[in-house]
Amino acid sequence: MLLLQLLVNGLESGFLYALTAVGFALIFGATRIFHFAHGATYALAGYGFILGERLGLGPLASLGIALAAALGFGLFIEGAVYRPIERSRGAFFTLFVAAFGVVIAVQSLLELGFGRSYVVVSSPLSRAVSWNGLYIAPLFWISLCTALLLFGALALFLKLSPYGIALRALADSRFLIRTYGLSERRLARLAFALGSALTVPGAVLGALSTGLTPSVGAHIMLVSLTAAVVGGIGSMPGAALAGILLGLTETLAVDVLDTAWSEASGFVLLFLFILLRPQGIFGAELRR
Amino acid sequence: MPQSHAWPRRPLLAGIAALPLFAIRRARAEEPYVLGTLFPMAGPNAEYGTIFTAGAQMALAHIAEDKMLSRPIVLRAEDSQGTPQGGAVGMSKLVNVDHAIYVLVGFTGVSKAAAPIAARAKVILVNGGGVGPDLAGLSPYYWNVIPLAPDEIRTIVPYLASQNLRRLAFIYINDPFGNGVRQSLKAELAKVGGSVVIEDAILPTDQQFGAIAARIRDAKPDAVYFASYGAQQAEIIKQLRDSGITLPLVTYSGANIPSVETLPEAEGLVLTTQASALSSDDPVTQRFVRDWRAKYGTDPTAYNQNYYNAVRLFALLTASLEKAGKPVNGDTLRAELLARRRFPLVGGEGVFDDLCDISMKIVVNRVEKGKLVPLT
Repeated sequence: MLLLQLLVNGLESGFLYALTAVGFALIFGATRIFHFAHGATYALAGYGFILGERLGLGPLASLGIALAAALGFGLFIEGAVYRPIERSRGAFFTLFVAAFGVVIAVQSLLELGFGRSYVVVSSPLSRAVSWNGLYIAPLFWISLCTALLLFGALALFLKLSPYGIALRALADSRFLIRTYGLSERRLARLAFALGSALTVPGAVLGALSTGLTPSVGAHIMLVSLTAAVVGGIGSMPGAALAGILLGLTETLAVDVLDTAWSEASGFVLLFLFILLRPQGIFGAELRR
Repeated sequence: MPQSHAWPRRPLLAGIAALPLFAIRRARAEEPYVLGTLFPMAGPNAEYGTIFTAGAQMALAHIAEDKMLSRPIVLRAEDSQGTPQGGAVGMSKLVNVDHAIYVLVGFTGVSKAAAPIAARAKVILVNGGGVGPDLAGLSPYYWNVIPLAPDEIRTIVPYLASQNLRRLAFIYINDPFGNGVRQSLKAELAKVGGSVVIEDAILPTDQQFGAIAARIRDAKPDAVYFASYGAQQAEIIKQLRDSGITLPLVTYSGANIPSVETLPEAEGLVLTTQASALSSDDPVTQRFVRDWRAKYGTDPTAYNQNYYNAVRLFALLTASLEKAGKPVNGDTLRAELLARRRFPLVGGEGVFDDLCDISMKIVVNRVEKGKLVPLT
């Protein structure tokens, strides 16, 4: 029963990780920008939801605020930070440092606006109910349905919609995008908008279950990055699967190892992939 | 020959030459005393930094109002991030760049990292927040104005035994503080025939506790004792309750912060704290409580009180040294503390032992509707 309970807990964490990691993978895959501030998008979305709840606007309007915060920030950083640096042929490291600065600025702004303490939205949805000795919260089913729905919708969008096909083309060759007269910039903005929007469900579910602090983005970024590498850089199905795998690894490790190894086990997984399968689960084999 | 009224040349030149020396002496007399703070100001433990600093700032305001010292005091802040590494870096800067002579510190790991640096520079380090057992006598220049964890454990374990809660699940941060609490808890439990039936070491960065809840449910203990700090405490409480753990949750004074006490899931949480000073009728306490309520609209916490006391202690010691015409440094401050031992502080008379640690009464409380209600 303990193993089954850990499996349920692992899946619940894994769905949240997967949703955020897919957003990061989408942005990196399409634009090749290492969006280090992805965790800050998550934090802003979560705090946007909390703001709505504090103002008594109800869950739907709060969700709208979270979405607006994530989209606004994603488009802002693409247009005001990454684009000017890329225009002046800034190196990868310059982009990284700029994003790092933005993360710190966002954290400080959240501290000023909401204080430095832990915040959470209390909801009956996070309270587990016993089901044949297994404790499952309604949020588990919500996480599961949201993840499946969004991954399905994203897969269909990328496969069938002209914009989705263009996004995949952008990931393959920027030169071809220009040859076909498509706007590289508009597609990059679309990638940022979609990638940022994908943080919203995870952030809202996080605000309802684990709670948030202004520094929550750092942990989320670490998880997204690990999932993106394990899944195969730029591969969205890979990132989703790796996110779930990470959640399961962290939780199931508790059954066989000391609890202190829980978080480290995710990085052991990353290390093993780098050693044995550097291209990740679904990544293409590297050519020398 | 008429007598010349001109000034003798040599004394005049000597006087002019000595003028800068007077200027330097005067400038030195107005040089401020530099106090440092080494608190977590960002990250998941930043709430403590805000609380600690607020207590120190109110003491500074009162010292200035009362004109207790001949020189002003300036406060230099360094962010320890709540980590030993941050503590060592911050302490080096406070000592070598800011030339602080008296530094306020919190957190066990930070204290242990900063204490050797302070001892080498003979700078006084005063702890009002960390409770790790090995903070007692860390160095001659390290003082505690807070009772340490063994005092809290010695109070809570007999209480739990009286409630027939002897088999405990124990969650602790795997750092010097958590390991110290673990040692004390096991030793005290053995005295009352109790034991730790399951223990989980966690990292300060851990955020998921659903798996631990599953393990606890499996082990069927009487209660859960956790030793963590900062935002993580609220995460533990919420996730244990959300996972269906209805057992009594027990902890130490680290949970005496608003974000924990006002958490709906923390209703019924049992925690030890130093005895409340709010009802004390001495003028120092009354003024502190009155001004605190006027400024913040809430009652001060024990941490606010401790850091107020730490700064007030500096002013009381320095005022004595100034009166005696002695220099103010780590050695003279320590000698003065050991010579006097008793000081009028918030909460009544503060009495220090040979290790420069204050002694205080510990009480067991329960969180009821966001407030602490004393049980003992």
